[in-house]
Amino acid sequence: MFEKLRNKIRGFESDVEEKTKKKASLGEKAKKFVKERKVILEEEDLEKPLSELKLGLVESDVDYDVAEKIIEEVKEELVGKEIKWRKDVGEIVEKALKDALLKIFDFQFNFDSYIQSKEKPINILFVGTNGVGKTTTIAKVSKYLMENNYSTVLACGDTFRAGATKQISEHGESLDTKVIKHEKGGDPAAVIYDAVEFAEANNKDVVLGDTAGRMHTDINLMDQIKKIKRVTNPDLVIFVDEAVAGSDAVERAKEFHKAVNIDAVVLTKIDADVSGGSAISITYEVQKPIIFVGTGQTYSDLKKFDSEWFVNQLFKE
Amino acid sequence: MVLDKLGNSLKKSIRKIAGSGRIDEEAVDELTRDIQRSLLKSDVDVKLVKNLTDQIKERALEKKPKGANPREHVVKIVYEELVKIVGEGGAPPIESQDILLLGLQGSGKTTTASKLANYFKNKGMKVGLICGDTYRPGAYEQLKTLSQKVAIPFYGEEEADDVVSVIKNGLETLNDQEIRIIDTAGRHSLEEELIKEMKEIEKTVSPENKYLVIDASIGKGVKEQAKSFEKAVGIDGVIITKIDGTAKGGGALTAVSETNTKIAFLGTGEKPEEFEEFDPEGFISRLLGMGDLEKLIQRAEERLEEDEMDMEAMMKGDLTLKDVYKQLESINKLGPLNKVMNMLPMGGAQLPDDAMDVTKEKMEKYKIIMDSMTSEELENPNIIGDSRIQRIVKGSGTNREDVKELLEYHKMMKKLMKQMRGRRGPMEKMMKKFKR
Ligand SMILES: Nc1nc2c(ncn2[C@@H]2O[C@H](COP(=O)(O)OP(=O)(O)OP(=O)(O)O)[C@@H](O)[C@H]2O)c(=O)[nH]1
Ligand SMILES: Nc1nc2c(ncn2[C@@H]2O[C@H](COP(=O)(O)OP(=O)(O)OP(=O)(O)O)[C@@H](O)[C@H]2O)c(=O)[nH]1
Ligand SMILES: [Mg+2]
Ligand SMILES: [Mg+2]
Repeated sequence: MFEKLRNKIRGFESDVEEKTKKKASLGEKAKKFVKERKVILEEEDLEKPLSELKLGLVESDVDYDVAEKIIEEVKEELVGKEIKWRKDVGEIVEKALKDALLKIFDFQFNFDSYIQSKEKPINILFVGTNGVGKTTTIAKVSKYLMENNYSTVLACGDTFRAGATKQISEHGESLDTKVIKHEKGGDPAAVIYDAVEFAEANNKDVVLGDTAGRMHTDINLMDQIKKIKRVTNPDLVIFVDEAVAGSDAVERAKEFHKAVNIDAVVLTKIDADVSGGSAISITYEVQKPIIFVGTGQTYSDLKKFDSEWFVNQLFKE
Repeated sequence: MVLDKLGNSLKKSIRKIAGSGRIDEEAVDELTRDIQRSLLKSDVDVKLVKNLTDQIKERALEKKPKGANPREHVVKIVYEELVKIVGEGGAPPIESQDILLLGLQGSGKTTTASKLANYFKNKGMKVGLICGDTYRPGAYEQLKTLSQKVAIPFYGEEEADDVVSVIKNGLETLNDQEIRIIDTAGRHSLEEELIKEMKEIEKTVSPENKYLVIDASIGKGVKEQAKSFEKAVGIDGVIITKIDGTAKGGGALTAVSETNTKIAFLGTGEKPEEFEEFDPEGFISRLLGMGDLEKLIQRAEERLEEDEMDMEAMMKGDLTLKDVYKQLESINKLGPLNKVMNMLPMGGAQLPDDAMDVTKEKMEKYKIIMDSMTSEELENPNIIGDSRIQRIVKGSGTNREDVKELLEYHKMMKKLMKQMRGRRGPMEKMMKKFKR
């Protein structure tokens, strides 16, 4: 993960250092009596290295426009800054970028305390484009909740895709938890509605509603997901996307957010040798926290997303 | 011809070159920067983009052949260089063969297996499908259901663990089929056990064609993935799925260049028939942010009766409500409005969000409202004042807001059509097609 970006950051630091060093030595020649070797960072010193850094972000799957905006923030932070050359250029640059990134991930939401404090049953709806890992994530989240002594109900709101019912039923069996399903082609909203009623009647804690994968460009299916939300009134809407996705992640996050107002994000498949940039783009776009990442195909491959860790990975030696 | 399809900003910078009458460095710089931007936004590999634009720059600044105008010269270079990377379509010959579908988790292999089977069946071949995925819950059920849908013989073993033996049995059972397509489980480069398993499957089948199935939205990771699949079993071609979203499929270029193969097919939806042979021209327009005109024309020809879609009316500046009525009906048949608009050569011009939000239900409502209007009102919506609105509301059983919304919609479309009228070339071509 992140190697390319890390190299770019290194390159960036030495590049700025190079530039400012030259400046200082010129200054020295001109005014030998300068006591403190201080340099002011100017826009032109930063132009080329910042553009390289932008490419670095793009190469790590950060969406082009998002990368541009982040770099703009870093630039604003840096231009006009007075630095003592050599000693702290690297540090200052690193800090500016780190701050810009950490700011993106700054949220108060905590899934565990939410689940603990919220009135039961809690109804959670999972949405996203095709094949990103919604159903698998539901199974993983169910396992996570069950390990924390909450009971779950899985609702098969994918009444469309071939094999979808079978898939979630097998998960239900392996996890030993109830699955509510209807006939194929049935109304997804009705399935989830039934699951909530079942949870109420049987004192279950959390309903995990699966939905069919859908393209954000498909007006009819996007209407359908709006209807599902309207009818089932979920407490949380979770947008699932895969970390292997490139810049399109932004586009679809935006469209889903517009349609159903998402509350949180799960990013799957981060085990697949990914660069990680989609985490940055998606969060930047919808301003909602990533709560979990998927790290493989088994039930235990679900980790809490730790933004400090994530950002530090970018800067690790 | 290609110029017709170039995106707006690209078009502008190309025009600059034309305006100056000669090819100057600055204009070429600007053009290549625009191309870079478009390609990077489409997930094309950074290095690939750099090489490409260097090449374009170099060739554009070389002496142009006598007689050619500078604009044509540069456009031709851009197109040629892109084709060099994208390659021609690589659809397999229609003959007996075994095909193995491979790729990352969820990329669309199982769906593609049934689409591909359907494709060959329609070409008159005898095809069978084999489920070579013993991992994913429901994988057997999924392919079985899909194969029934397209009426293709299917082999799978529901409770099996040993995938190699399942595939062996499948090949034997389906021995009398001319083409056998084997679906496999999703896997990625770091899953060593699964990569090993894939090698064994490959040895067992020795397929004529091994396709890497990749999602159009895949990011830069595609490079490592393609490389490791290529190294493990050797890839013969690439299939891009989910091109019906907004993803541009730039990652496919990386896959093609890593595996030294071609793009064979595109998946354009979830249904079996939503599958196309790869066409480089349409794909390049997409990468550069241009409309995919040919596709729209093709689809329109397939789905619309002659003269049902009156493009001329759509383009007329004095678009009436009657035209809007027709428009809504035609668009209903072509697919969601934004899908249609994506394919139109608007050169990235943004459609107002409201225009996109016209849902099926809304369209129906609009039509009901229009049914309560007089012919005069439909021809000349300007005369619709408060009292007329009241009458229409009563007649249609809707409310004031709905009627006003429709009138707003009409205004917006009128404006939009006027804007599009400015971009003559490709629209003319399209109108001709529709009018034939
Ligand atoms: N390596 C890896 N694979 C994953 C992960 N999460 C899901 N998958 C795999 O991705 C594939 C698709 O997962 P699903 O859960 O069926 O995806 P979905 O979003 O429900 O798909 P649709 O319902 O068809 O839209 C399966 O093969 C999963 O095993 C993950 O974190 N890592
Ligand atoms: N919109 C759209 N969806 C597609 C397309 N191709 C496949 N899908 C959907 O993508 C999801 C995943 O497809 P699958 O065929 O199950 O993918 P897979 O590669 O077999 O998945 P695994 O076996 O889990 O690795 C399903 O929801 C499919 O319906 C396409 O061209 N367009
Ligand atoms: Mg699913
Ligand atoms: Mg599959």
